[in-house]
Amino acid sequence: MLEPFQLPFVQRALVELLLLALLAGTLGCWIVLRGLAFPVHGAAAAAFPGLVLADGLGFAAPLGGFGAALLFALAVGRLATRGREGNDTLTALVLVAALALGIVLASDVFHSAASVESLLFGSLLAIGAGDVRLAAAAALIALAASWLLGTRWLASGFDPAAARSLGVRSPLPDACLLVLVALGAVAVLSAVGALLATALLVVPAATTRLLSSRIAGWGLATVALAAAEGIAGLWLAVKLNAPPGATLAVVSGIVFALVAATRTLAPEAAT
Amino acid sequence: MTADRAGGGEDARVAAGRRTCARVGGSDSTGPARQALLTAEKLAVGYEKAAPVLNDVTFALEPGERIAVLGPNGGGKTTLFRALLGELRPAHGTLALAGRCASVPQTERSRLDFPVSALDVALMGTIPGRPWWRRPSRADRVAARAALARVGLADRAERTYGELSGGQRQRVLIARALVQEARVLLLDEPFSGLDATSAARLEALLAELAGEGRGVLIATHDLEQARRWDRVLCVNGRQIAFGEPATALTHDVLAATYGGAIVTLPGEDPGAPHHAIMPPHHHHHDHAPPR
Repeated sequence: MLEPFQLPFVQRALVELLLLALLAGTLGCWIVLRGLAFPVHGAAAAAFPGLVLADGLGFAAPLGGFGAALLFALAVGRLATRGREGNDTLTALVLVAALALGIVLASDVFHSAASVESLLFGSLLAIGAGDVRLAAAAALIALAASWLLGTRWLASGFDPAAARSLGVRSPLPDACLLVLVALGAVAVLSAVGALLATALLVVPAATTRLLSSRIAGWGLATVALAAAEGIAGLWLAVKLNAPPGATLAVVSGIVFALVAATRTLAPEAAT
Repeated sequence: MTADRAGGGEDARVAAGRRTCARVGGSDSTGPARQALLTAEKLAVGYEKAAPVLNDVTFALEPGERIAVLGPNGGGKTTLFRALLGELRPAHGTLALAGRCASVPQTERSRLDFPVSALDVALMGTIPGRPWWRRPSRADRVAARAALARVGLADRAERTYGELSGGQRQRVLIARALVQEARVLLLDEPFSGLDATSAARLEALLAELAGEGRGVLIATHDLEQARRWDRVLCVNGRQIAFGEPATALTHDVLAATYGGAIVTLPGEDPGAPHHAIMPPHHHHHDHAPPR
């Protein structure tokens, strides 16, 4: 039953997933609450050409990915946190452009097409020590930032107009959230890739959102759920010899569908 | 609550020469020589480089006064409030504030599905008193609970905000303003959507807050309510009238304020007819006078 977890590379994947569950629990709640799910998807996609570029030019891949994701998050996320219309269209445009650019760079410029699949869908069973360190750092930074800035993120999402007059005028807290979005998107790339980032950063938090009425309880529930989904997805992937990132995404999706269906059919019982 | 919170965000809002803020002690508001909390002189406010949308506003808010701000939608009530909150700078004229202004928005403008308790919302009022990286302190929590108790919601502090009734939500937003140690409260149609009991309770609370020496500005469409308060300020692109309701609310003033959307209702006393405003979304037969 548990023999997959005796393999060293599976153990490392497990550590990575547990660290990312911590990240998903803290950052994911803010992403869902502030309506940043699509920008997260876009930031992860934007990181893709950055990774290819870094790979081809020979500098640290996370740096290239983070640079591209940050550029994207600050440009598009600013519009989203301010509740401006039209940012969805812009996000979609940049997302497509980033994917196309990444593919062209990978196949025609650097001839590294072989790694495209792992960049897009992750390579959870080939996690390196650097990836684990990045996940740990991102989780710690996300925890510290929500501890410090949580009340302001909450206030400016609650009613933006009144938040202005409350003195939440400093753009810094929201900018910090966007930097975190970029950091989170890059941290999950090695596990689930550019296209499945939301499976970790959005889906668990969106699932527990259905059952939570306070931000703290929601965060804890999300950490627990993301960890459970990670363990289940990893075990299934090894057992079935399926791609782990995609398996994890499918497990998260099914859990969300089940919880949402239970909520709809028996709203009293689910709380 | 600490003394620096009262003025913490105040100094930043001073616009050179046009908008002035003086610090006044909390205790001398009951003294005989009371300084106006808010004075506007020939104030004009607008957006960016466009022509001002509100002109020629001259009025004063004394401690303990409730002023009804009457005007049609788009007549400049919101613009006036935004100027008082320091979000818009006066284009002409002067605006002097002797205390912090806090806005109490309509409750539907906030997210009712947010995972916050009434206490969380009241705690948002402590944000102006802290640098942006600082968490709420124990003193902040005490202040937020005290403000909730002040509006009669001590036992609802842990309830989810979105599950409270409309009147309770409005009082939570007032508590958030009180936590800011605001001496001037700006309420945007606080009675809309409230049942009679909640409305009576809210009105009593506003009377108490005014009794503590605060100034209260209330944007409203309800003329009957406005008559019960201390002064009325009628605006429609410019100031139409300011004064006590009995003298200021003439038929001519109301006609200039609301245009054609005003009807005269025959009261019990034929010498003092009642006026009513028909908000644009109302059906005409609702308020039409009997033939």
